[in-house]
Amino acid sequence: MANYYNIDDILMEEEPITSIFQVRANGVGLLDPGSESNCVEAGAKVDLPLWLAHELHLRQAVAIGVPPCFSQRTRKEVQADAACVDLRSRCPYFYELGCKIFPLVGDKSIGPFLLYTFTSRYKEILSKSHSAPVSTSPKYLPRLTQEETQLFKAAQWSIASFRKWRVGGSRLEKASILGRKRKPAAAQLPPAG
Amino acid sequence: MAGQSDPHLPMFTAPEVEFLAEDEIVEIIPNVRMGALHMICGDFGPFLPQIAVKVPLWLAVAMKKRGKCAIRPPGWLSVDNLTQVLEAERESPREFQALPFHYVEISRLLFDHARDDIPDIYMVRSLIEDIKGVRFHKVETGLETISGRTHAVKLKNLSAMEVNIVRPFLVRTLQAFYKHDSPQIVQPQGSLNSKRPQAADRGPRRDLRPR
Repeated sequence: MANYYNIDDILMEEEPITSIFQVRANGVGLLDPGSESNCVEAGAKVDLPLWLAHELHLRQAVAIGVPPCFSQRTRKEVQADAACVDLRSRCPYFYELGCKIFPLVGDKSIGPFLLYTFTSRYKEILSKSHSAPVSTSPKYLPRLTQEETQLFKAAQWSIASFRKWRVGGSRLEKASILGRKRKPAAAQLPPAG
Repeated sequence: MAGQSDPHLPMFTAPEVEFLAEDEIVEIIPNVRMGALHMICGDFGPFLPQIAVKVPLWLAVAMKKRGKCAIRPPGWLSVDNLTQVLEAERESPREFQALPFHYVEISRLLFDHARDDIPDIYMVRSLIEDIKGVRFHKVETGLETISGRTHAVKLKNLSAMEVNIVRPFLVRTLQAFYKHDSPQIVQPQGSLNSKRPQAADRGPRRDLRPR
């Protein structure tokens, strides 16, 4: 795997992938909630996390289906207006998953689709991230995938720190813990005397 | 935060860029008599009243704060020059005008500490703001043209602070484009262990053109 300790990589591999068992597997009944015995029949459709599906696929035990976020329907929506599609609800790790899964499912159109999606959504992020007010969390932020959110936050942060520098003021910052009220702690003390 | 939490992105904060800008040389007119100062970066002085001498900006600001000198504003920081620059910036939508590399930081330091040494300060200040706005808008429109085919971006005459603002965004964008446009993803070469070829979807590939 690309980066063993990368948390985004780990979370991305948790993504459920519809896989079809090609062989009958004994003793793994818990993978298939519909199975009555402790085994998965050949041909059963089971949602497996990507890390498991990938390994089983290498052993020719399962066939991997295309995840719903790369379905024809999503593609049509992206072609219509990429910036308005809520990709986060479909898959927060849309791009990373796409890069991982296209050699497994053998769908060569996923790669260009990813690039097209990113290119058309990138312009939207660009125009909004540098002009958005820092304090409010804009309403299109929940639509962005993890990677796009990071991009957006990076731009927002750099413009915010520049504005802060330009306004000037004290270089010393108060630790957030110092501003807290001390009342609750005092209330817990037993009354003196 | 976003930029700093990622150790792979080298990045300056705005005060750090300002620190670098403080090494620029400016001319001051001292009003005290003082011997030469021997610094690691060079010798400055001796300081004689009413005799102009060249010092780094940090020293100029420090002396100005103590009321020991007047700072002579650099030649580019004049209403005439800035008006010309602003016009030229507006007329050429693709090019940036030649301004000092640290013009944002120097002008801010001088506006903050040497207000009385700059003639027409309100005019100069609003001109600098306008120039900054026009240039940043230009940077943004330039960023829009980035696509998967972009391998490098040429930004001539861009100043330190402007580069620093777009750096986290630009680096991430280029990385993402590089990843998604790498040949093995866009045109997978054989060696696929798939058993079920799917209906080829030529899809959105067509809409992409190198810009």
